Amino acid sequence: MDDRIVITGLGLICAVGGNADECFDNALAGKVGIKEVESVEHSGCYAHIGGEYTKFKTPAGEDRASALCIKAAEEAVADSGLDVTKDADRVGVMIGSCVGGAVTIEKFYRDYVADPDKASGDDVLKMPISAIANNVALRFGARGVIDNVANACAAGTMSVAMAADLIRSGKADAMIAGGSDPMSSLAFSGFHALHALDDEPCRPFNKSKGIALGEGAGILIVESYEHAKARGAKIYCEILGSGVSCDAHHITAPAPDGEGMQSAMARAIENSGLKADDIDYVNAHGTGTPLNDSSELGAMLRIFGDGGKVSASSTKSMVGHCLGAAGSVEAVLCVKAIERGMVPPTVGYTDEDKAAMREKAGDFDFVPNKGKKREVGYVQSNNYAFGGNNASIIYAKEGAARKLAKPTDERVFVTGLGIVSPLGNTVEKYVEAINSGFEANKCEKCGDFVSTVGADDFAAVGIKLNFYRKLDKLSQMTCVSGKLALADAGIEVNEENATKIGIIAGTSDGPQTDIANFQKGIIANGTQSGSAFLFPNTVYNAAPGYLSISAGVKGYNVTYSNGAASGLAATAYSPRVLRTTQNDVILAVGADEDSDTVHMLYEKLGAVGSGMKLGDGAVTIVLEKETSADKRGAKKYAEVLGSGFAHSDVKFGEYGSAGSMKKAVDSALFESGVKAADIGLVLTCSNGLKSLSDIENEALKEFENAEKASVKALCGEGRAASSALEVAHASLMLSGKIGRTAAKYALVVSASAGGSFNAVVLKKI
Amino acid sequence: MDAKQREIADKIKDILVENLRLPAEDLTDDAKLFGDDIGLDSVDSLEIIAGIDQEFGVSMMGVDREHFQTIETLSAYVLANLEN
Repeated sequence: MDDRIVITGLGLICAVGGNADECFDNALAGKVGIKEVESVEHSGCYAHIGGEYTKFKTPAGEDRASALCIKAAEEAVADSGLDVTKDADRVGVMIGSCVGGAVTIEKFYRDYVADPDKASGDDVLKMPISAIANNVALRFGARGVIDNVANACAAGTMSVAMAADLIRSGKADAMIAGGSDPMSSLAFSGFHALHALDDEPCRPFNKSKGIALGEGAGILIVESYEHAKARGAKIYCEILGSGVSCDAHHITAPAPDGEGMQSAMARAIENSGLKADDIDYVNAHGTGTPLNDSSELGAMLRIFGDGGKVSASSTKSMVGHCLGAAGSVEAVLCVKAIERGMVPPTVGYTDEDKAAMREKAGDFDFVPNKGKKREVGYVQSNNYAFGGNNASIIYAKEGAARKLAKPTDERVFVTGLGIVSPLGNTVEKYVEAINSGFEANKCEKCGDFVSTVGADDFAAVGIKLNFYRKLDKLSQMTCVSGKLALADAGIEVNEENATKIGIIAGTSDGPQTDIANFQKGIIANGTQSGSAFLFPNTVYNAAPGYLSISAGVKGYNVTYSNGAASGLAATAYSPRVLRTTQNDVILAVGADEDSDTVHMLYEKLGAVGSGMKLGDGAVTIVLEKETSADKRGAKKYAEVLGSGFAHSDVKFGEYGSAGSMKKAVDSALFESGVKAADIGLVLTCSNGLKSLSDIENEALKEFENAEKASVKALCGEGRAASSALEVAHASLMLSGKIGRTAAKYALVVSASAGGSFNAVVLKKI
Repeated sequence: MDAKQREIADKIKDILVENLRLPAEDLTDDAKLFGDDIGLDSVDSLEIIAGIDQEFGVSMMGVDREHFQTIETLSAYVLANLEN
């Protein structure tokens, strides 16, 4: 199909307005929405300001992250005229978020601290990032690919890029894409603890001492050009290429040289077939922290020079830093800039400041204080995040000249596995446990299946104490499994290949344990006493961030969160990335942790006690391009042929229908060019809950004669760890390491509470 | 180290073990916290500052780096700056 992707609808809510036009008009006028924060107690803090949209009250019974997102999505869907239910299977949702249901998380733990019985299971369903896209899908009846990007402050740019890519790869015709994050005590206290908040409105690239937190949601209707044309939709602009990279430097601080930022920007320009000179406007990340601003300014000056041809501004100086929503809020402003031929400013510059800026950046145009009219054909929007994640995307006027890189037809192979599971760590121990019928490790107290990582595991993969002591269990397991996987694949990371190895991670619940620890700390001691040590661990992309640092891998780096199927999604998304980016290798990780906190949350949901046993772990699948694998003579466990996604628009927390699961399977088979009758092995996803078993039994009827394997029967419901372990287990069976299957093709299925289903087809070598 | 400083040093050690997940056995009074011995970084120092402020009511924000060298120097600073 054509690779033209267009934007046909916009929705925006943030500190400077309740809709896209109001926000853009206010931004152009340089109106600052940053003032004293109302929704977070901050009397003991050194900083008191942020960008809230207090006119929007969260409807009773809802969480603010989803509510903001749905508000913006309602505007965008109406603006686009898209009839979502008309072809619901072809409409997906991709939402970026950093703190997700943080407002409900605070409420839940306040209740819990007062009386554990008072904390409600209904609130547990509003806490994870997973919930947001599912709630949006339910509101509009979307049944296509549903997922959330959880890369902290870069999430909102990555989600739009991913939406475009899913359409280009034929997985959807239209996507409701963007991001959402509320003002929260979690983020306010965390950035306060890091001394990253400014006590005055921030003046990015100038005299800032830190960020002003914001809140909001930005939604874009992203659509294939044909689809938009066929329904006579108004077209705002096009989405061209994007670039994603990772610093592999520090969990919170950007690399001072800005090299990772520069490479993400350069890749976005290159992937669009453009030159830096073509870019008219850059919406910079420009958080206002001295570290970000100096790294980013350096990167921009190296790309664009200081001649002043490009205009660049940080709209965070007006709306604050909306974290996981930032990239999508800024995306809407960028699209408006193209539509109106006007660019928004960076505010707060005095004449003295402007002179100082000239000293440091020559004639580089920061669009001081007031928006201005100018030709806007190509816009670049950049965001950088905790974990060292960098993302950049290009928007262009409809029909503007460009030449997108064409996907290759490279085959993709599983060339390494890293397993941390209740049945043991390393492929060898897992295989031995399976072939010998060992029982999995169980928590004596709660009976859950649990993985353990200890000093020996870290020593075996060369991770030192002063690194791993900072990590929560999720990150520890992820780092060990990732490093084990690289070792199993025989890949040594060096300067030459570091930028060609990326990570796609999936997690259902993220770091719920350290989120609880952090939140309980500020409930007990006040917002001013948040732990600087724990805060970095509260973002979902911390675990793959730590892995990138410990392994030194600087390529693609995106974290997805949509329930248990997220571990399989990581494998499903990887081939496209390998075929369209510079990456030769993707570490596809599925990880989720168990702990007293996680056990308690699942008890509240009623899942524990209804036949489901929790598990945990981290599993990394090394996915590699054929050319790369062959060049280094890599062993191959299996080939990844294709994937499929489908969704039932059910209430978050419930499983979808057998019909949806079958659709995911059928579409994976179709993409793989494999008939149902040829599937000899099926990795099932039932977890002891009757509702899911019934769906699976019904959906997989046509595979009656295929051999079945269940990792959850052995290791419990380890959520994303389990769905990734299914891929590893199937690969080990197809390669003859486990059992004696005669199967040539394996089908791996997974289901998320929330209604999503993923399926992947693997082929024996 | 007198008894008063000893008591402070032990409390600081508890803060390091509890808040920074450090192994107690490595935390001798003279172990270099930011050097090769323990390997702390700037985020850890924020946590130490917050922990000391909360425990002793002594603010070490902006205090010269030399006072952060070891548990001994930290406890000496706290002792010297304790009210009453």
